[in-house]
Amino acid sequence: MKALEIKGLKKSFRSNFLIKKFNILKGIDLDVEKGEIYGFLGPNGAGKTTTIKCIMGLLSPDSGEVRVDGLPAHAAAARQRIGFLPENPYFYDYLTAREFLLFSASLFNIPEKEMRDKVAALIHRVGLSGHEDLKLRKFSKGMIQRLGLAQALVNDPDLLILDEPFSGLDPVGRKDLRLLILALREQGKTVFFSSHILQDMELMADRVGIILAGTIRRQGKLSELIARSTQYVEVVCDRIAPKELARIHPDHALRDNQSVLTLAGDADVNLVVESIIHSGGRILAVNPVKMTLEDIFFSEMAGGANGVPTSQSNGTGAPPNPSTLGGKP
Amino acid sequence: MTRRRWLAVAALSGLLLAAGMQQRYDSTVDYFGERSAFVSLPPGKTLRILSFGYRNLVADMLFIWSIQFYSTYNIRNRFDFIERVYDTITDITPEYKEPYIIGSLIMAHEAQDVPMALRLLDKGSRLNPGEWIFDHDAGFYCYKYLKDYTKAEEYYNRAAANPGAPVFIKRMKAHLVYLRDDPEVATRMWLDIYRSAEDTLTRDSAFNHLYQIKAETDLPLLRERIVEYQRRYRRLPAALSDLARAGLVREVPRDFSGNEYIYDPAVGTVTAQRIFRWKKR
Amino acid sequence: MKPAIRGIAVNTFRESARNKMFYLLVFFGILFALSSKLVSFLTLGDAMKVLKDTGLAAINFFCVLIAIFTGINLVYKEIEKKTVFNILSKPLSRDEFIAGKFLGLALTMLTALGAMAVIFFAFVAVSGGGFDLGILLYFFMLYLELLVIVAISLLFSSFTTPILSFIFTVSLYLIGQVMWTFNEFKDYLAIPLWRVFTQGLYYLLPNLHKFNIKNEVVMGTAIDPWSVLFSVLYALAYVLALLALTVLIFRRREFQ
Repeated sequence: MKALEIKGLKKSFRSNFLIKKFNILKGIDLDVEKGEIYGFLGPNGAGKTTTIKCIMGLLSPDSGEVRVDGLPAHAAAARQRIGFLPENPYFYDYLTAREFLLFSASLFNIPEKEMRDKVAALIHRVGLSGHEDLKLRKFSKGMIQRLGLAQALVNDPDLLILDEPFSGLDPVGRKDLRLLILALREQGKTVFFSSHILQDMELMADRVGIILAGTIRRQGKLSELIARSTQYVEVVCDRIAPKELARIHPDHALRDNQSVLTLAGDADVNLVVESIIHSGGRILAVNPVKMTLEDIFFSEMAGGANGVPTSQSNGTGAPPNPSTLGGKP
Repeated sequence: MTRRRWLAVAALSGLLLAAGMQQRYDSTVDYFGERSAFVSLPPGKTLRILSFGYRNLVADMLFIWSIQFYSTYNIRNRFDFIERVYDTITDITPEYKEPYIIGSLIMAHEAQDVPMALRLLDKGSRLNPGEWIFDHDAGFYCYKYLKDYTKAEEYYNRAAANPGAPVFIKRMKAHLVYLRDDPEVATRMWLDIYRSAEDTLTRDSAFNHLYQIKAETDLPLLRERIVEYQRRYRRLPAALSDLARAGLVREVPRDFSGNEYIYDPAVGTVTAQRIFRWKKR
Repeated sequence: MKPAIRGIAVNTFRESARNKMFYLLVFFGILFALSSKLVSFLTLGDAMKVLKDTGLAAINFFCVLIAIFTGINLVYKEIEKKTVFNILSKPLSRDEFIAGKFLGLALTMLTALGAMAVIFFAFVAVSGGGFDLGILLYFFMLYLELLVIVAISLLFSSFTTPILSFIFTVSLYLIGQVMWTFNEFKDYLAIPLWRVFTQGLYYLLPNLHKFNIKNEVVMGTAIDPWSVLFSVLYALAYVLALLALTVLIFRRREFQ
């Protein structure tokens, strides 16, 4: 059973009665396996938050299905197992951190008695120790974000849904959050997080779904998405004359007194390296240069801009086949 | 869906239950009842301040409400504070005519307190110079309820003096003079109206009044002379012209249309062709 | 009670209890109630009557003000500041959310009215008056009226802006005070359709006049116990209808 499964999710808004419908989600299909970290990547306005609001029951979809652990998302039982961090969270500023967490726990029908001891541990876990009894109006944005994470953990959820969790965090906060999310995976929890920042994805996500203009363009394991896109291999060496190099491989250049050879992905690297050593050169590095997620992302965006669908999930509603995704050079 | 239907049922049954309770509550309460609704009515000048610029609206509301109140016939002692109510309304908007007119009508007609009605109307004409309707109404109440024709004539005089006063006030005045038993002056006034009449209604009305006044002067005279004739000759005159021949009248009077009065020689009665019955005493 | 509903209720109460505006209004209510002493100096004869009249009027006025302001603000603020995202994403139905909000508001009003009532009774006692059960009954009736007002403002704030909610709620409150005259009017309407319409409005709109027994209790006029009973049941039924309606509207609401 999938931790989260979305099929054919469509949502449109009317800005007023006269203007025609504005389609935000044009048929989202995605699935999140248990125990993985799923990165939901897309530029601002692509429909990330709208998708998440449909999952959380804040918006009712026009059509489509959202299942959490096999349960329909609008069922209270489904939400009992989800921890949710909204985008740019704002909490009651007249409460203290402790009061707020107790209140959040009560919404999961967790009695206050049971919760009292856990609160301190939670606060410590998100790095807010010592601020338990501070009113939230004195909290900085980063602290609010940490507290938001704490309230998402208050019910010990199986699935965490984090909407732009890294926004507003300083570098230390980003690192802490990264470690926390990885630790949660260690505990067997599933994390679904959205971001428009590629670095977050590359550092953490097991699988990534790329959303553009209301459709999922690509979905797959990050390693697969990247592995299939090795572009070329760089061989760095020195102590070898350019004349010799030109004989071994035509594409070479000088960079910081080091020679860099650029080989096509399918070239015989061993042969080139042997030839260099044979000619008295010293091998400094052999770097396979893969297509970064950023490159994939921008190529998708360019495709979208040109109106050329670059994968099967182009809004026709047909579920994409993950095995065929990401193989495009 | 079922939850929604549940909620709709709850909303509806709540409203119905509330309506039912309201009905039951109403049956236990007599809204006007013994306690007077006016005890807490602030003076007009205070209300004028409290109306915060909406003084017409406040006056309207009070006036409309007063109409409802005074036409609810089962309220006991409902006239106890009537003068205060209309005084208040007319204090808030002295230029609002209807409260004077309706208020005085209720006072005179329903509460049967004409002096009170006259006080209200006097206030109206004092605060609205150049307006004839208040004096006219006051004159009418004097005429209708008090039968004080002198006072009524005074009011009509004042009303007629206002520019734009309609002609019928003149007629009313002439009629009052007639009612006061001054047929000569009344005739003069009616003739004046008759001659200056610009429409047939006025002319006809004046004509009718003149016919009536003349008949009322002529007929008693003729009857008196017929009796005199009978005493002298031991018989009734064969025709009215016999009276002139006998020298009892200088000339047989004719009615205002110029026709002869109808004489019945068998019984000696004399009548006018047209009979009006305006004079009620 | 489910911990979730209680959580919302307690938090709602806490929100108003930590709001400066709330204290300001309660403070002014008490201040004006106490200043009735000054007014009572100006009268001849029964000063205690004037003191009670003015004091009760002040308490009435400020409690209604608190009810309208807190009722309007609480739901709207949740939506405006997006705290509602956090709440409704929990395993808590929107029905429970509204129920919790209403209970929290009811608790808030109980506190506000309770504080004013206690001070008022103490003040009357200090001024040489005795404890009056009738006035306690009045406070009870006022509380019922406040519940209706709170439910009305909750209804409006679940779908419109605070300024419109304020206008609607105040209008309904004022209409509710003079609603009883509708009953008198309808006999004078010539067109039967209008009569039906007026009749419909009479039963549909809140009829708040019945809760206002402050004049009677001060004057010592006898109050029919049946009318009290019907008023209580009326308040409960009307609040139920309003809450169900609020939930019906709120369930359809989307949070973009």
